[in-house]
Amino acid sequence: MRRVAIVGGGATRCGKREASWRDLVQEAGKAMFESVANLSPKDADSLIVGAAQPERFVFQAHVAPMVAEYLGISPRKVLARTELMCASGQAAIRYAWACVATGLSDVAVAFGVEKMFMPDMAEAQTNMTCVLDREWDGVNGLSAPPFFAMTAQRHMHEFGTTKEQMAQVSVKNHHYSSMNPFAQFQKEVSVEDVLKSLMISPPLQLLDCSGITDGAAGVIMVPADEARKYTDTPMYVIGSGQASIGNAVNNLASLTDWVPLRLAVEEAFRTANIALKDIDIAELHDCFTISEIIEYEAFGWCEKGKGGEFIEEGQPYIGAKVAVNPRGGLLGCGHPLGATAILQTVDILQQFRGQVPKGRLVEGAEVAVAHNLSGPANVHSIVVYSR
Amino acid sequence: MSNVEFDKVKRPETIKLPFMLDFYPLEDAKLTGISQFFTNLKEGHLTTTKCKKCSKLLWPPRIVCSNCLSNEFEWVDLGVEGELYAFTEMRVGAPLGFVEDVPFCIGIVKINDLLISSRIDNAKYDQLKIGDKLKLKIVKLEDGRVFYRFIGINEK
Repeated sequence: MRRVAIVGGGATRCGKREASWRDLVQEAGKAMFESVANLSPKDADSLIVGAAQPERFVFQAHVAPMVAEYLGISPRKVLARTELMCASGQAAIRYAWACVATGLSDVAVAFGVEKMFMPDMAEAQTNMTCVLDREWDGVNGLSAPPFFAMTAQRHMHEFGTTKEQMAQVSVKNHHYSSMNPFAQFQKEVSVEDVLKSLMISPPLQLLDCSGITDGAAGVIMVPADEARKYTDTPMYVIGSGQASIGNAVNNLASLTDWVPLRLAVEEAFRTANIALKDIDIAELHDCFTISEIIEYEAFGWCEKGKGGEFIEEGQPYIGAKVAVNPRGGLLGCGHPLGATAILQTVDILQQFRGQVPKGRLVEGAEVAVAHNLSGPANVHSIVVYSR
Repeated sequence: MSNVEFDKVKRPETIKLPFMLDFYPLEDAKLTGISQFFTNLKEGHLTTTKCKKCSKLLWPPRIVCSNCLSNEFEWVDLGVEGELYAFTEMRVGAPLGFVEDVPFCIGIVKINDLLISSRIDNAKYDQLKIGDKLKLKIVKLEDGRVFYRFIGINEK
């Protein structure tokens, strides 16, 4: 296995964009290629595109060759699209990494894109209802907010987690996204704002939920020993882990104890040869405030059930125990499904390069993790990076 | 303005609910190997498959046991009473076809040690609590298909 480096990356601004799916692809592709000297689209031999539901959001299938065409890439080694719903981009990164690591590819692009705003938003909501087992769970109206609402309800019931603690996750992530020009939401919010926001699916309110978002992003991977040809500041992929248990609600390990996340963390740490204390930046999948709370616990920064206290004590802020979502998270930046993991990765690269605004810069950061969950939190995907 | 021809094309104003927006499973024996589930449901029984070889009770019902790969099953009646394990209410963001039902309660029902998600009918969110006893209810679609829901046991 070869060591793999990311030598550049670029992204669109996220949000409700006055742009088509194809516009987003081109905008992110240009930013990505222009971030790397001495490398043109023609040098890329492989392309993996993370895209969750282009068939339903923009009525387009076979999207990998379409992205290749728009970006001026003519793949001659590996071309594919990855779908793993909210972790589709993380799947693209893992496959591109595997392609370069095994020698199958020498220059691989991991790309992600989602256009989620539709003329009739009920249609977008409908799309999100086939993510869970549609015939047995989706049929009951179980899209993401109701499912995670019940997760939050059980966490409150079992461990005494409060709505105020959940709100504090949103406050933190909006604090950081207020300093991110790529973010969908660039305004700070208070605990009161969260608790007064529209009730979506109790106990989850609007500001407990990540947005519906348009966005795209891409990164370029090469063998580590060739990285210096392209940049003085490469970022290395040093490990990864992924685990999944069950799919239908009945077959999950637990609503509140994310066993597959603990397994993925274990595998990521083992392959990267790191320990929890080595992590300086954690880009965690805060699709809902409760998700980030359960993730503090599963990573091991606090005991099971104490995630609420962990945020209440300010532990996941920059300068405290670990910087969680200094990008602004999904809550602040939005969640364009296929693009989300790539957006996290581009931001980690910019963190390592000192290219993010000072208020959210994690100074001296050496190791970072990017994490995504997908579906009913049955799947967890993690990639570990170092400077 | 150039002098090319301009014309109009027609598209239908309404279309029949397409299969891609139909949430309910197809139940005919020609379309699924678990049509017995729906036959049983039409007679008022919520059932699922139990593997004859390894005895595992599987939900959703199967034609192959994911535990031992056997394809010999018996249909087990899960009874008509369950317990509310978790619940919420759909207030914003319902999918097409369910928008008219908003707000409606959704729960996870513990029945026979299975956790089955379900609509909770005849219920107000504020009056439900974890542990409530629930009773099976069966709903019929216009085309004759059926599905299960639950209702509060004290409700009519």
